[in-house]
Formats: sequence, structure tokens, C-alpha cells
Amino acid sequence: MKRTLLTAAFSIALAFSAQATIKVVATLPDLASLAREIGGDKVEVSSMAKPTEDSHFVDARPSFVVQLRSADVLIDGGAELELGWLPPLLQNARNPKLEVGKPGRVQASQGVRLMNVPANATRAAGDVHALGNPHFVVDPIIAKTVALHIAQAFSAVDPPNAAAYDANYKKFEATINAKLQEWGAALLPFKGQSVVAYHDSWVYFAHRFGLNIDIFLEPKPGIPPSPSHLAEVIEKMKAQKIKAIIVEPFHDRKIAEKVASSTGAKVADFAQYPGALPDTDSYVKLIDALVSRLAAAMK
Amino acid sequence: MKKFVLVALACCAVATAASRAAEPATGSAPEGSTPASAADIEALRKQVQSLTTLVQTLQQQVKDQQTAMEKNNSAAPSLPESPETQSADVSTPPAPAPSAPPLFPTTDSSVVTSAPSVNANGTATGAFPTTDAAVTTTSTVSSSETGSSLTQPISLTGGGNKNYMNISFDSVFALAASSARDLYNVEVGDHDPQQRGFNARNAEISIDGAVDPYFEGFANIVLKLDNNNETEIELEEAFLQTTGLPFGLQLKGGQFFDAFGRINSTHPHTWEFADSPLVNGRLLGPDGLRGVGAQISWTIPVPWYSQVLFAVQNGRGGTGYSFRNPGDDGVFYGRMTIDREQSALRDFVYVPRWENSFNLSDTQTILVGVSGAFGSNDTGPHSDTQIYGGDLLYKWKSARAEGGFPFVKWQTEAMYRRFEAGLGLNDSFPVAETFDDWGMYSQLLWGFKKGWVVGVRGDYLHMEDSLFTDDLTRQTRSRISADLTWYPTEFSKLRLQYNHDSLEENEFLAARDVDSIFFQFEFILGAHGAHKF
Repeated sequence: MKRTLLTAAFSIALAFSAQATIKVVATLPDLASLAREIGGDKVEVSSMAKPTEDSHFVDARPSFVVQLRSADVLIDGGAELELGWLPPLLQNARNPKLEVGKPGRVQASQGVRLMNVPANATRAAGDVHALGNPHFVVDPIIAKTVALHIAQAFSAVDPPNAAAYDANYKKFEATINAKLQEWGAALLPFKGQSVVAYHDSWVYFAHRFGLNIDIFLEPKPGIPPSPSHLAEVIEKMKAQKIKAIIVEPFHDRKIAEKVASSTGAKVADFAQYPGALPDTDSYVKLIDALVSRLAAAMK
Repeated sequence: MKKFVLVALACCAVATAASRAAEPATGSAPEGSTPASAADIEALRKQVQSLTTLVQTLQQQVKDQQTAMEKNNSAAPSLPESPETQSADVSTPPAPAPSAPPLFPTTDSSVVTSAPSVNANGTATGAFPTTDAAVTTTSTVSSSETGSSLTQPISLTGGGNKNYMNISFDSVFALAASSARDLYNVEVGDHDPQQRGFNARNAEISIDGAVDPYFEGFANIVLKLDNNNETEIELEEAFLQTTGLPFGLQLKGGQFFDAFGRINSTHPHTWEFADSPLVNGRLLGPDGLRGVGAQISWTIPVPWYSQVLFAVQNGRGGTGYSFRNPGDDGVFYGRMTIDREQSALRDFVYVPRWENSFNLSDTQTILVGVSGAFGSNDTGPHSDTQIYGGDLLYKWKSARAEGGFPFVKWQTEAMYRRFEAGLGLNDSFPVAETFDDWGMYSQLLWGFKKGWVVGVRGDYLHMEDSLFTDDLTRQTRSRISADLTWYPTEFSKLRLQYNHDSLEENEFLAARDVDSIFFQFEFILGAHGAHKF
């Protein structure tokens, strides 16, 4: 009897302590990683998309509705990145805290100047993003801004811990600033050189480290590689002596390997999301991995 | 631009110097009497020297400007860089020593706008105001442009164009070949191919958006061509639903498809086959079960996904097929219908549903549901109809899915209907009967490659035999279908489908087998609505 009472008391205490942390849902693993950096042990973070899948085409699994229903904060990429799956989830979750404009909603694209904004939005150009390229978190400077927004949202939702969030942000900022020196130095020898990518999702990374990533295995965004287009790519790679092709986990690596073998280039496994590559469970580790993989491939 | 100005300046300076240098000589020569003194020559030489230095300085400036611009161009191909980045770039040595001071830029105002701040009270309408006139550019996204808000203007075409509603146009066509001359009797759905040759049975205009902070609205207007190419129009759906009710509640009102099973509430362009399953067309109706009414739904606060829905509708007319449906020319299942007015609560159709979903693993999800539809029908003053349904969806999607592929999806629905067929108008039919009808379909889809899906489907429909009711729609039958679909993008679709139908003999109809081939094609313009699970 006593034991049951104790257990009951314990579970009630647990329930209360669980309530003390704020529940954060991030649509994507990179945003979740930033939320963990900022929230520390004051928040409970879960993410929806898997790090290895194409983030535009995530299934609106009903379990996500359960996650969103009880969330205090939702962090999404914005800029139409999750347009194909987030709206019906929000509709079904019926959680007013997560509406755009409420403190519990962070749209990472806010305050980011998006690149590749098409002058004319036409689907004849393939899978274009009318608002600009939404894969911006791979730029560490932008990641700092996103982290700052997250810190502000956490402080607004959970004012008693505002100082902790602020301190965590400062720590994260210092880490990124220090790491940027390392990353910048590692990629400096390749400044101005070209890299081929399977899909056009690395414009921010290229911009940050002074690389040119403007040749793609896909003829148009979202359109599968065709033999004639690949022949053109191979020619360009030979002419420009391009040494690396970057592919993401959900791309057809075989195609990249074929192009690599006929040009002498190396295939570098890249990913936008922490957890998609071995030993990349945080944002900083992911960028570490990207930088070292690219530097190794371009040597 | 600057370069040209500088070059022009330099040219001017040279020209001036030359003319000035020449002036004294030309000025003094005609007079010829006094040769220039040594002091004069010395003064002139000094002047020329100082001018030469000036020209050299200007040249150097031009050169500097050029190199700076080149560097700048190579560093930022697509965006103008902020001044501080420029200077950082220019001053970066080719290979910094390990002990060098931090030189890699850690800020970049060309990619982020100045950090907006939260209002002091934290309850601002925009926790992160993004409209800062000083930094706003057309490429800066504001919260209302993402289209995922329920309360803000929704992007119509993106790129900063705002509108209060999303609009799209979706057309589905089918080219049909069949061994049956009466394809309209073999196919059971109103949006299915109805004749040999080309069919345009579903061109829909979809509109949705936030009505105000409390409601969102949705409308679906369908245009279709009959076999004589006459246009028919139907207000398929038009409803509003709440966005901010507490306790996980949601209310919906208007004309809408009932949440009965999986397929009934969806639109033809999302179907995995070119036609509707037999059981849906024959038990819920060729147009699906829909009508004017209201619905309440509640997501139950349990650790898994669990939702109950309950709808009340008029259930009158062809879209309330098994209920108060006057039938074709006032006849349904052989009886002259009474087409009665609403007179009691039992004349409504009540549609409850309970659905649950679980993740079997990180890549596998199942959704199971049970549904019902209860109301009266028009074949007699006291005739009732009850329909019960169960459905199951299993989906596997690769953890490395590209564009949603590869995946495997298995969907099954079963229905049972108890239909009390009365004596008809003024007891004009000889007998009252009760039909126990049931059926099911099961379909397996395999998205084996990005954009490609292959599927098989089995259908069975049992309609209770009757000695009295000769109706073409009351034939027990089965069907096997196979299809291959190619989605060039999510906005277009090409599909080839084969159907083999076996219609069984009954008291009035002979057995027959029908083979059909459909080639379906579809396009979507405008906003592409997100897919529900």
C-alpha cells in the first residue's frame, strides 16, 4: 500500500516536473538541434522529418498531430519548405499556441535574406521555390540568427528561464564564431573552385565558404538526371577539373558514382540534417563533417 | 562605373597638363624676341613632374578599384556583400598561420537582417516582427508569406504576392477502351470513365483560405462533361471549419464529403486508380456520401492518434444515395419513391467515425477506422438504412525517400449495408424486403522509383438476390485491376489501368465478363493542396 502511494506520489511529481519543461516540436532535425542547444534541459525537443529523407515530401503521419497537439513551441523552416505536409497537420492539431504570430511559433526563414528568388515563378523551370531557396540553415551565420530567434521564442514562452536561454545562445554564438575560423581555414585552399551537386540545395553553404556549386546532376530542380544532361555535366567537369560531387542520403548515389568514375572526381556524402551522417548528432558536428568531407574530396 | 569616371578624370588631367605645358612655348614663340629663361624652364619642368605624379596616382587608384571589384565578384556571385565582409575578404591573406587572429567573417548582413526582438510582454501579434523598413527587401520572407498560417493571407503564387485564398484547377481525363458497350453500367462512380473513347469527368476548381481568425473555408466546384459533351456542374464541397476551439474540438458546417472510410472523403485526383471501388459506388453512391450538414470532431488526448467524428446531414438526393434518395425518375430499387420532406430526426443521416493511428516503426504507419451511416430511405414511410464500415491503411516509406518514393501502401475497406426496401409510394410495390449487401476492396501500391507507382486492386460486391427487384445496380460482381502510374512531377500524372470485371448471374441479369483499359491523364495548376495521410 505504502509502496503504491509512494509510486503514485513519485509519478505525480514526475508529471509536474515534466510539465515544467516546455515541449518543442521542430519540423526538421537541424532546427531541433538548434533548439536543443538553446533550450538545454529546460526544453523537451522532438522533430518530425527524418534526417535522411527529402524534407519537401514528408508524410503527414497522424503521430505528428499528437506531437503538435501538446506542443508549446513549433519551429518550422518556413519559406514553403514544409508546404506539402505541415498545413494539414496544424489543421488537425488544433493548437492555437502554434499559430503564426504567436510567441510559440518560430519560422526560421524570418530575418533571413533568401537566395535564388526566381524573378518569374514558373513550374516549367522544375521544382522552384517562389520565395527563394529554403535550405539556408547550412550557413552557420544564418544558423546563429535562427538560434537567436529560437532563444527569443523560448524566453517569451518561458520567461523565468530567459537568462538561461540567453546564456545558451551566447555560448552557441561563441562556438560558431570560433568554429567558423576552423571551417573557413579548412576550405580556404579551395576558394573559388567548383563543386557539382545532385540537387540545388547548397547555395548558402557555397556562398559562405566561397565555393561555386552551380552545376547539378538534375537538369532542373526535382527532375531526375537524364543521360544527355549527365553527358553535359561530365564535359563541364572535365573542362573545369571539378573534383567533388556532393549527394544527399536520399539521392541516387549510383548516378553520382558513374559520373565520378568517368571524370575522376570523388563522391562526397553530404546531408542537411544532423543525424543523417555517422556521428553528426548536433549541428556543429554536422558542419564539421561536411567541411572535412568536402576538403578530403577536393584534395 | 567608378572606374570610367576615374579614367575620364585621368585623361582630363593629362590633356590639361599637355596643353599647359605647350602654352608657354606657343605663347612665347611668335614674339620670338626673348628666349625663355632657365627659371621659366625649371618652373615648367616642376609643373610637368607634379602632373605626372598625379596621373600615376590616379592610375594606381583605378587598378586598386578593379582588383577589389574582381575579388568581390568571385566571392559573392549572387548577393551583394556588406561592406564589412568586403573588407574582410580583401584583407584575408591566402593562407593564415594557425596563430593568426580570427579573420573568417562571423557575421554577414547580406544573409540575415538585423535580429528582430520580442515585445516586452511577449504576447505581441508578431513575436518576431520581420517588417523592418530599413532591412526589408523583396527577398525577405515575412510570416504571412509561407502559406502555412491559418489566420493570415495565404500566398497565391508565392514570391511575395499575397491573396486571401489559394486557388487551383485540376483536370482529370481518361481514354477508355472496353469490351462493354455500356461502360456507364460497368463503372460505378460518377467520375469514372463513362464511355468508350475520351472522358472528361472531373475538372475541379478548389479554393481555400482563412476566413477570419476563427474559421477557414474550403470550396470545390466540379465541372464534368457527360457522354454528349454537355457540361454538368456540381458544388461538390463548400464548408467552413473552426480553427481555434479548445480541447481538441473542431466544428465543420456546409456541404461536405462524409468521413466514411478512406476513399469517400477524398477527391478523384488523389485516387490510386482511375475509377472508384465497387463497394463505394454501390453502397455509398456514385457520387460518394456527401450533403449539407454539420460535423464535430474531437482528437482524444491519448498518447496515440485517436479521433472521433460525428456528422449530421440531410441525406437527401443522389448524394445521399442509400438514404432519402428519390432515385432516377422517381424509382429506386424498383420502387416508386416517396420523396418525403424532413419530418423527424430519423430523416437525417448520422455519420460517426472513430480512427486510430500507430507507428509500427520509424518508417511504418497504420491507420484503422470504423464508420457508420444511419438514416431513413425513400422506399417506404418507415424504411431505414444502416451502413457499417471498417478500413485499414498500412504505409511504409523509406527513411531515404526522395520526393516521397519509394513506398508501399496497402489499403482495404469493407462495408455492410442493411437496406429496408419498403412498399414504395402508396404501397404500390408488392413486397417489402430487407437487403443485406456487403463488399470490400483491397489495394496494394508500390512506389518503386521516384515518380513511378504500380498497383493492384481486388474488388468484391455482394448484393442480396431478390425475386422482385430487377435493378442493374443490384448485381453481385467482382473486379481485378492493375495499374501503372507515372507522376512526372506532383502536378501531372499519366496512368494506364486494366480492369477485368465479372458480373454474376441473378434472377434478372445474365453473367458477363468485361475487360477495360483506361489511359488517364491529369494536370494541376495553381496551389497544390497538401496531402493528408
